[in-house]
Amino acid sequence: MVQGKWTRLVVVLVALVLVAAMATTAGAQSRVRLTVWGRDLPDDDPAHAYIREVVTTFQAKNPDIELEYIALGDPGIQDKVKVSMATNTDLPDIFQTWGGSTMGGYADAGRLLDLTEELESIPTSAAAKAAMSWKGKTYGVAPFFAIAGVYVNEGLFESLGLTVPTTLQEMEEVADKLLAAGYQPFALGARDKWPALATYMYLVNRYGGMEAFADAQARRARFDSEPFVQAALKYQEWVEKGYFGPTPLGEAYGDAQLLMATGIAGMHVTGSWMNAQYSDPGFTDQTLGFYPFPLLPGGKGKITDVMGQTDIGFAATWVAADKKDAVVRFMKHLMDPEVIAAEPGRISSVPGVVAPSRLTQMAADVFAQAEAVQFWWDQDLPPNITTPLNDTILKFFLPGADVRQALAEFEELAEEVMGPAAR
Amino acid sequence: MQATQIRPRRPRDWRGIVFQAVMLLPAIAFLAIFMYYPIEETFRLSLMRSTGLGDEVYVGFQNYARLFRDAEFRAGFVNVLLWAFWSVVIQIPYSFFVAYALCLYRNHFTRPLRAIFFLANVLPSAITAMLGQFVFAPRYGVIATLAQRFKWTWLQRIDFLGDPDLAFWSIFALATWAYTGFGIVYLMANIEQIPRDIEEAAKLDGANRWQYAWHVVLPMVAYPIRILAILSIVGSLKLFDLPYLMTRGGPGYATTTLGIILYQQGFVNWQYGRAAAIGVVIFLLSLVFTVALFSMQRREGELQ
Repeated sequence: MVQGKWTRLVVVLVALVLVAAMATTAGAQSRVRLTVWGRDLPDDDPAHAYIREVVTTFQAKNPDIELEYIALGDPGIQDKVKVSMATNTDLPDIFQTWGGSTMGGYADAGRLLDLTEELESIPTSAAAKAAMSWKGKTYGVAPFFAIAGVYVNEGLFESLGLTVPTTLQEMEEVADKLLAAGYQPFALGARDKWPALATYMYLVNRYGGMEAFADAQARRARFDSEPFVQAALKYQEWVEKGYFGPTPLGEAYGDAQLLMATGIAGMHVTGSWMNAQYSDPGFTDQTLGFYPFPLLPGGKGKITDVMGQTDIGFAATWVAADKKDAVVRFMKHLMDPEVIAAEPGRISSVPGVVAPSRLTQMAADVFAQAEAVQFWWDQDLPPNITTPLNDTILKFFLPGADVRQALAEFEELAEEVMGPAAR
Repeated sequence: MQATQIRPRRPRDWRGIVFQAVMLLPAIAFLAIFMYYPIEETFRLSLMRSTGLGDEVYVGFQNYARLFRDAEFRAGFVNVLLWAFWSVVIQIPYSFFVAYALCLYRNHFTRPLRAIFFLANVLPSAITAMLGQFVFAPRYGVIATLAQRFKWTWLQRIDFLGDPDLAFWSIFALATWAYTGFGIVYLMANIEQIPRDIEEAAKLDGANRWQYAWHVVLPMVAYPIRILAILSIVGSLKLFDLPYLMTRGGPGYATTTLGIILYQQGFVNWQYGRAAAIGVVIFLLSLVFTVALFSMQRREGELQ
């Protein structure tokens, strides 16, 4: 009896080991495994519709590739990629990235896979391609590109007899009228810090033109030079007038969206990634439109100067060097118009894709007319000064803040990281 | 005194020594790999300039010098010390008060109440922070909605998380709700251990409830209270989750902490050396407070 029990156990164990061995060798022989780290879950959320389409259809169309897609959330995706890149271990084959200087840091450290030749033939917009390139080499694709602009509550404007502003002065008049009628002129969400950047980037541009930021970045000018100070003073004036509501620092980005969705706020300066939600009748019963940020007559900025950044982008790492073919197939799949058609709101970088909503079309039009695109500053500056940048802008919101002092402190930090600016 | 007694030399028990060594080895190995090595690495890294990518450059104590010149770090430093101070001054007396009251007025509400007080402690801090935002948010928050309903405009105007003078206290209030559950349960367990005859003796001597609490219960739970104080102080020094989730350390630097600055320097700003230096500061501060409080305990023990 005892002997029989042991025999049975051994037979079962041997069988298990054989099955496991067969399973692993069979898998290894025929299928390439592609590990992809992304931000969003491939679930039913309308904001995740594209990524769900990517994951489900890629697996169906490419049975010889085993796709392992892992959703890490935000900032989870950025933290995890950063740590893996630093230790150079456990890297995925492909990861979601917003391109720009952060991706550039990984490229400089030799962690990325150069796909310049392989991705050459994929049609894409110049801005999206530039965002996923660094020092002349392309490391990935950005199927969607976001631009910042002004969401306007058209229904509310009509009922109050207001017209969409085209100059900063008109914008202030509209804001004053909204305020007088009991509405909050702008939704913002400054508690999350980063949402306050979009308005400031545009104000600096409208005062100093594209060269204002470009010069500071290239260290030909200081970050506390005139356009930066003028823009900060204007921003501060708007805060003090109550354009961002009585509690601007108490509201998070989600609160700002609700203010727009419920018709409490009249305008929202932010990225075009809000298109899907702002045209979803389940989210808002208001009629919203997307317009370029107004012009400052006499300022150096042009209405065709646009702030933009990668909305969804993916790049490959060096560990995928021996499966380049699978990587390129995945990249092409990301840029496949049929797959992109699943997206309900973002602006596609692939030419010829029909916009899924009126808002997307409006944003795409603004983008199409853009003559110059400046990447979102926090994607374009070295990563070690982007948090201080957002903190600096938030200081404009504090009562009695000295904006010159705040900008001078930021300049000091920029000098430490990027070198001194020419006087 | 029997110190002069001469003990016969016993042969060394080698088997026993080997046995002890083998039993201790896994623990020592674990400590070495997961505690001592990372601590040593943090010290080493704090003397380097390192982005995590590429080479590390030795910069001596530059990271530390830079930290103490930095307004954000100074704000975070002051915030955690204030947090530690008020935790000890507010949260511990509050815990003691509730625990004593629950022990004194024992009835069939005691157990459910204890569970309710402890419940907040069981919630993950992400949930606690969400609840906090739900309560304090302007316009849609619980307080704002109530104020609107009762037309208390003064209350409606208060910006709990966006006002630099108030944000710290809003989060501290939430933390008091969330963290004192542990103190209450821990002190209750200790108060319940006090022998009945001591309580009866105190009553016979004519002590009222305040006198009993002050002269009998408090001295008898002095040690657990000290443990709570150490946990509070060290917890405050490492504070990260609630302020980060509620306000990202803002507005301005009003609610920033050493933990938040460490995270941002390391993971957002790519300044591993500076982040390590903050880690060392937190470590040394925790060490100083812990050693100080335990040595106070020892000295009092010797005096008694």
